[in-house]
Amino acid sequence: MPQLVRMALLVLAAGLIGAFLARYSPGALVDERELDQRLSEDSLTALRATRGEDANAGATFARYVRGLARGDLGYSRSNHAPIRELILDRAPETLRELAIGLAGSWLLGLGFAIPVGRWRRAWIYDGAASLTAGLLLCLPAALVAYLCLAAGSKSAVVLVIVLTPKIFRFTRNLVVEAYGASHVSMARARGITESRILWGHVLRSAAPQLLALAATSASMAIGAAIPIETICDVPGLGRLAWQAATARDLPLLVNLTMLVALITIAAAALAEAMTPAETTARREGALSP
Amino acid sequence: MKPIRTAAIVFLAAVALAAITPQFWAPARYDAQFRETPDASPSNRFPLGTDALGRDRLSRLIYGTRVSLLLAPAAATLSCLAAAALGGIAGLAGGWIDRAIVSAADLFLSLPWLFLLLMVRAGLPLNVSPAASVTITFLLLGALGWAAPARVIRAAVRELKDSDFVLQARASGCRQSRLLWRHLMPNVAPILWAQFWVAVPVYILAETTLGMLGLGVAEPLPSWGGLLRELEDGAALSHLWLLAPVLLLAAVVGSFQLILPREDYSL
Repeated sequence: MPQLVRMALLVLAAGLIGAFLARYSPGALVDERELDQRLSEDSLTALRATRGEDANAGATFARYVRGLARGDLGYSRSNHAPIRELILDRAPETLRELAIGLAGSWLLGLGFAIPVGRWRRAWIYDGAASLTAGLLLCLPAALVAYLCLAAGSKSAVVLVIVLTPKIFRFTRNLVVEAYGASHVSMARARGITESRILWGHVLRSAAPQLLALAATSASMAIGAAIPIETICDVPGLGRLAWQAATARDLPLLVNLTMLVALITIAAAALAEAMTPAETTARREGALSP
Repeated sequence: MKPIRTAAIVFLAAVALAAITPQFWAPARYDAQFRETPDASPSNRFPLGTDALGRDRLSRLIYGTRVSLLLAPAAATLSCLAAAALGGIAGLAGGWIDRAIVSAADLFLSLPWLFLLLMVRAGLPLNVSPAASVTITFLLLGALGWAAPARVIRAAVRELKDSDFVLQARASGCRQSRLLWRHLMPNVAPILWAQFWVAVPVYILAETTLGMLGLGVAEPLPSWGGLLRELEDGAALSHLWLLAPVLLLAAVVGSFQLILPREDYSL
């Protein structure tokens, strides 16, 4: 329960930060229609009054939270549509892309990692796979998106290419460690088949960390989806977030910030719940030399 | 030291030297326009050709390296200093101060880093001078990147807090600030150093992404992100020399990865 309250507070704080950033950005309260010389003074005054409602970011956010309690997410000025409709309209595209990206990258990442652990002397394969993963990790997601677009690939494929090296690098070490355990050597000595060793011993013993990584990879995927959707022109939530940020659409930005925060915080909480205590302690000092 | 690590350090040193002294290596200034030869293919005069405005791509690459390669360590220094201060205070003080700093760090970590960066950068003016855009971009990178290293520093300080030498210092009447800066910080310095080296390639890649999305360093000042925008029209596959910044970026980030302290990838 305290974890849920903490999550709710963090999500609300993320939304509040989004509201303040959008409110105090240059030109936040200026409507470009004010430059239209055909508009009368009355129309201009009405426009300014509408924009003026957003002048107090705290009050705007409080109004938003009250609306949220009633299921009303507000209205997007830049898209001229209710935000609820916009999110429901764009979410399937992003979810589809994330599902393909995550499934593909896990399949490939784990698929490339297992042979490294299985055949300990396959150092040429290990070296080649690690080098390829390292090279791909040297390129930003936006650049991979450009190159894949030039080659005619789809956005979900770009996400797979961006995520696979990350999944590979994490899972490789876990699989190598699991294959090196004494109970695996004992199972081999007793003549248990390799497929049973993989499913019953290796993946089973690495399962807590793999599940934790699965939850964390959702957050990685969301982060990568923003530049990929923007560059590949995919009508998803990532591009909507980009448009909201550039158009300073305060209500839309607040909603998206809270949605992204909710997903990533829930994924992190899930990861923490699935990770054994000693692993969490080790991760705290993961970068200590 | 492994030969490959030595090679990476030598390569980075050579690139940094070229970046610090571009006037000795670049055939022209980054903003010099050769209007009679726009979009030229590689030649003896222009080894990487010219862009649509007739600017020498090799010169822009060398000057762009200066921006990307030298300012990323500056941003990493900023975020590591902030992480040392906040993480150190949180670990040492405990109680509500610790909870407040950890919650703030969690808040920063709860949003994908790029989303946070885009949100803040998009909230700033787009029509700023090139020098201001460089400062804004890297200040943002430094200011937003404190959370992850701060958590590591906090964990290390909490561990050290109960050690014998800290108890001894406390018993001798050492003030909290002196305890932090004279006793704890020297002991967490190696961890901070590791965080710095982790942050540098991350910031180089972040600047590149921002630049490619049009929110990085402003023209005519070149940066790797800005140079890579040329790939937008998909001409890279037919004009392979456009991939020169990609190769340099991959080589530099890869070299940073090679010289990083040994990473623990386990969760």
